[in-house]
Amino acid sequence: MRHKQQLKSISVFVSLRKVEVSLSEIGFLLVGSSTIVADGKFWKKMLYINGEELISVSEEIGDAYPKDPIITICGSKNTILKVMDGVKN
Amino acid sequence: MPLYECNEHQFVENIRRIIETSEKFLVNRRINLHDDAKYGPATLPDEEFEKYSKICARKSLKSTVFSKVPFIDDFHKRMFNQGENLHGSSNLIFPRMSIPYYKVEYSVNVWGSTYFFAFDALFNPGIVMEKRKGKLLGNGSLIYVLKYTPPDERILNINLPKEVMVFDVKNMIKVIDYSSNF
Repeated sequence: MRHKQQLKSISVFVSLRKVEVSLSEIGFLLVGSSTIVADGKFWKKMLYINGEELISVSEEIGDAYPKDPIITICGSKNTILKVMDGVKN
Repeated sequence: MPLYECNEHQFVENIRRIIETSEKFLVNRRINLHDDAKYGPATLPDEEFEKYSKICARKSLKSTVFSKVPFIDDFHKRMFNQGENLHGSSNLIFPRMSIPYYKVEYSVNVWGSTYFFAFDALFNPGIVMEKRKGKLLGNGSLIYVLKYTPPDERILNINLPKEVMVFDVKNMIKVIDYSSNF
């Protein structure tokens, strides 16, 4: 059964590594990345896919501190809860 | 008509809020290719500059970039010699080696106001050695070739649920509404 897709964007003060591990644990695979410029800053934008669910993660490139990757989730309510749980401090 | 700029997080969260109200709405998207020398190698962060390190060098961010070896910029059909100034520290806004990019703009209209999020997606550089012919290269010499590939289209997209309609547009023409004056 196809779950209704929901949308959520979160900004988290955890390392990109922790986000990557958390996404891989729930079955998301990295399918591509690119360098983008937004708000006058350079970001690495990565796209993860699991079936019809999509998650993009944008992290500022360079020595910026604190690092707060932006995670945009387009997926089921269950996936959103799992991601938010997985990246808790 | 007010125009409000958002970052990615704000724009997506605003769309989520509209979805939750069950209001009908439309997201507009404009994607244009630009090659206007807005981006050059001197202003790239180290992580991105590393992708060009086979063909050029610099001391640090915003210092002059010189070519290390002769190479051909395949996108602009241009050859650079060894030691050429590719992006001068005293002329950062006019790089001689321009990096192409897509300008992506998303906007949504709600109650007479426009909320937008815009970003530039840089083309990915790839450096290969190829045998090329030419006036300077003779009948065929091995030379470094810089090739740009456009970013994956999926990266240019904001992930939105299927119920949200996204219309691609070429341009937005502002219409001034004088009707409220009468």
